[in-house]
Amino acid sequence: MKTIQRRSFIKTGATAVAAGALAAAVPSVAEAAETKSKVVVVKGTDIPKMIAAGIEKMGGWGKFIKEGSKVALKPNLAWKSKPEEGGNTHPDIVREVVLAAEKAKAKQIVIPENTCESERETFPASGILEALKGTKAKIYRPKGGDYMEVEVPKGKVCKKARVTRDLVEADCLINMPVAKHHSGATVTISMKNWMGAINNSSRQGWHRDGLHQCIADFSTYLKPSLVIVDATRILLERGPRGPGKLDHPHEIIFSTDPVAADAYAASLFVGKIKGVKKPTDIPHIKLAQELGVGCAELDKLEIVRVEV
Amino acid sequence: MNWLRRNGLRVVLLVLAALAAFPWMDYLPIGAWVPETEKAILPRLSPLLNLFGALAAREWVGWSLLLGVPLLVLSFFKGRYFCWRMCPMGFVAELTGKLNPWGKGLLRRVPSINKAMALLIVVSAAFGYPLAIWLDPLCIFNGFFAAWRLPLAWASGATAVGFVSILLLSLIAPNIWCHRLCPLGGLQEAIMSWAKRFHGPKGGKKQDAPKVLSGVVSRRTLLAAVPVAVASGIVKKAVGANAAGGIRPPGADLTRFNALCARCGNCMTACTYKLIHPDFGETGVDGLFSPVIHLRSTCGDPDMDSYCFHDCVKCSQVCPTGALKPLTVLQKHATPIGVAVIDRTKCIAWKSSELPKGDAGRSDCAVCDEYCPYKAVRIEIRNGVSCPVIVEDKCRGCGACEAGCAADPIAVRIRPLRADEYGKKLLPSEIDSPEKALRGEYENDAAAETSVVEEAK
Repeated sequence: MKTIQRRSFIKTGATAVAAGALAAAVPSVAEAAETKSKVVVVKGTDIPKMIAAGIEKMGGWGKFIKEGSKVALKPNLAWKSKPEEGGNTHPDIVREVVLAAEKAKAKQIVIPENTCESERETFPASGILEALKGTKAKIYRPKGGDYMEVEVPKGKVCKKARVTRDLVEADCLINMPVAKHHSGATVTISMKNWMGAINNSSRQGWHRDGLHQCIADFSTYLKPSLVIVDATRILLERGPRGPGKLDHPHEIIFSTDPVAADAYAASLFVGKIKGVKKPTDIPHIKLAQELGVGCAELDKLEIVRVEV
Repeated sequence: MNWLRRNGLRVVLLVLAALAAFPWMDYLPIGAWVPETEKAILPRLSPLLNLFGALAAREWVGWSLLLGVPLLVLSFFKGRYFCWRMCPMGFVAELTGKLNPWGKGLLRRVPSINKAMALLIVVSAAFGYPLAIWLDPLCIFNGFFAAWRLPLAWASGATAVGFVSILLLSLIAPNIWCHRLCPLGGLQEAIMSWAKRFHGPKGGKKQDAPKVLSGVVSRRTLLAAVPVAVASGIVKKAVGANAAGGIRPPGADLTRFNALCARCGNCMTACTYKLIHPDFGETGVDGLFSPVIHLRSTCGDPDMDSYCFHDCVKCSQVCPTGALKPLTVLQKHATPIGVAVIDRTKCIAWKSSELPKGDAGRSDCAVCDEYCPYKAVRIEIRNGVSCPVIVEDKCRGCGACEAGCAADPIAVRIRPLRADEYGKKLLPSEIDSPEKALRGEYENDAAAETSVVEEAK
C-alpha cells in the first residue's frame, strides 16, 4: 500500500504543505485509530526461516518491494561490535532482506548508515561486509552531499534535519534496528535508529534540544515501509556500545507501525533495565504515541506469534 | 651511457626508496597487505636511527632492530660504499649540486664535522637523550615523501623541511652535506678507519696495531665524548621536564620524546584518522615538528569527528627510533595519552541539572558515556538529570567523548598528560585481557556505578 506512494509523497510533500498529505500518504497512522496495528513476533534460531515466516504473516514481500523499485535498508551498525555482542543488527538478517529484495527484482538496494565510530571499524567488525558479499546491495556512510535538508512539520522541537537522501527517496524503506540498552535514550529500537539516518550536526542538536522529544518528532516525518527489529539477542547494560550482559529472546519483530514495534521490543526489557516497567516508561515511545505516529499500548495491538 | 652504467644502482635504489617512503596507503588500498611494521622500512635501515634510537629509548623494538646492522657491516668492509653508490639522499644532493651556478667556491672552508656529528648522536644516545638524531639522511629523505600524505596541507610539509634544506645547501655548496656534515657518513667513516686495523684498503696491508684502548675508541674520541654526555644531560634536564605540552601519540615516552623523535613523519602518515600533526610551538622549541595529536581535527573527513581509536596501534608500529613504543592493542587500552576534562558550565547535562524539574530547557545527554570505549564516564544523577563525571584512572584521553560531545561549544576536552602523570597509569599489571580492559573490569568497578545526588532544593 505505502510502497508506491512513498516516493511521490516525498517529492510533492517536501515542497507542498505536508501535514495533510502526510496522513493521507501513510495510511497506517490514520488507520491506527480504527484498526489495530499488527506486530508479528517470530521466535526461533534459524534467521532465514524466521524472516520468511515473519514476512509471510505480514503479507509477503510483494506488498513491500515492487519490481524495479529502490529499496533502502537502515540497520544499526553504529559501533565496532561483533554479531554475538549485540551492538549491531545481525548481519544475517540484513542479508536475508537483501536477498529477498534481489529476488523481488528491486532496481537498487542501498544501505546508508551514519556510524558513530568510523565505518572502517564498524562495517568489518559487524560482519555486514561479509554478509553482503555477492549481493548488489551498496553499503556506505553518507557524507556532505549525501544528506538533504528536510522539514519536520509535526515536530515540536525538531523542526528541521539533514537526512540521508537515499532513505528519503527510497520506494521501500525498511528500518531494521537491533533492540538494545542505551545510556541516553534508555533503549534504542527503531525510532532511535533514525539517528543513524541524519548527519552529525543534526544528531548533536537532538542531544542539546531534548533527545526523546526529537526522536519522537522525527518519527512523524520519516516513515518506514516496514520495521524489522532484531531481538535475537538484546544488550541489557552498557549500551549502546557494549559489550555487556545479554539476554536472548531469539525473536525478530515485524510491523509497519514503528511505535508498535518499539513498544513490543521494549517490553522485552521490562524488569531488566532500571525504571522500565512498561514500554511507555520510555519517553520517546510515549511521546511518539502522543504525536499520533502509532500505538504503544500492547493490549491494543494485534500481536501475531510464530515459532519456527 | 657511461653515466648510467656508473649510476644505475643509485637510480634503482633512489626509485625503490621513494616508493618505500611514499604514503601509498593514502592513495591505494595496499594498507591491507603491507604490515604496519614494514611500511617504515627506510629509516630503519639507518643504524643511527634504528640501533642508537633504540639504545637511547632503552626499548626492545623487536627484530626490526636487525635492519640497522647491514649498513654497519658494509661500512666495515667497504667504507663509505653506501654513501657514494647507494644512498638516495646523497644521490639527490649530488645531482642538485651539479646545478650550482657559482662553481665550487662557496663555503669551501666549512670544516669536516661529520664524525663529530656521528659522535654527538651515538654518545648522547648511549646516555639516553640523543641530540640531533633528526639529522639522519634516510630519515630526512623519508620525511620528504611522508609529507605527501592526504589530505595535503601546508603543515604536513614540516617533515620535508630537512630534505629541502639539504637541496638548497647542495645548490650553494655542492657535496658539502655528504662530505662534511652527514652524521651517517661520519659514522661510516669512523667505522672505516677503525676497520683498517683489521684489513687494509682493497686487500692491502693492515695498519699498525691500535695505540690506545685496544682500538675501539681513540683517546681523542673518548675526551670528546665527555662534553657530549654532559650536554646530553643538560639538554635533557632543561627541556625534558616541559616535554609534556601537547597530546602525544600513544606509546610516547614524554620525558624524552623530543629527543628520541626523528621527525620522519611515519606516525603522521600511518594514522588512520589523520589526527597526528607536526607541532609548531605547542611543545616548545625542542619539540618543533614533532608529532602531536589534534583530536577532533576531522582531517580528511569533515563528516566524522575522529578520535584516537582504541583498537588502533598503527603509529606506534611504524616509529623507527622507539620514540613511540610499539604497542599491542592490549597495551594501547592501558596507555593514556591525555585526560578528559568536563567543563560543567558548558555541559548540557550539568547545565540542565541547574534548571528546575519540568523546565523545557532540560535535556539528558551523556553522549560522552555512550562514546567512551573505556567506560571511564560515571553517571551521577543530579536533580533528576544524568550528569557525566570522568573517572580519571580509567580515562585514556582517546577523545571519543570530545568527538561525540553534543554541546556547543564542546564541553569535554582532552588535556595533555602532565609530566608527573606520565608512566603512572601505564600498563597496570591487573589487565589480563583486552575485553576486560574495555569493560573497565580490572579496576574497582564500584567507581563506575551510577550514584544519585539529589540536591536539597
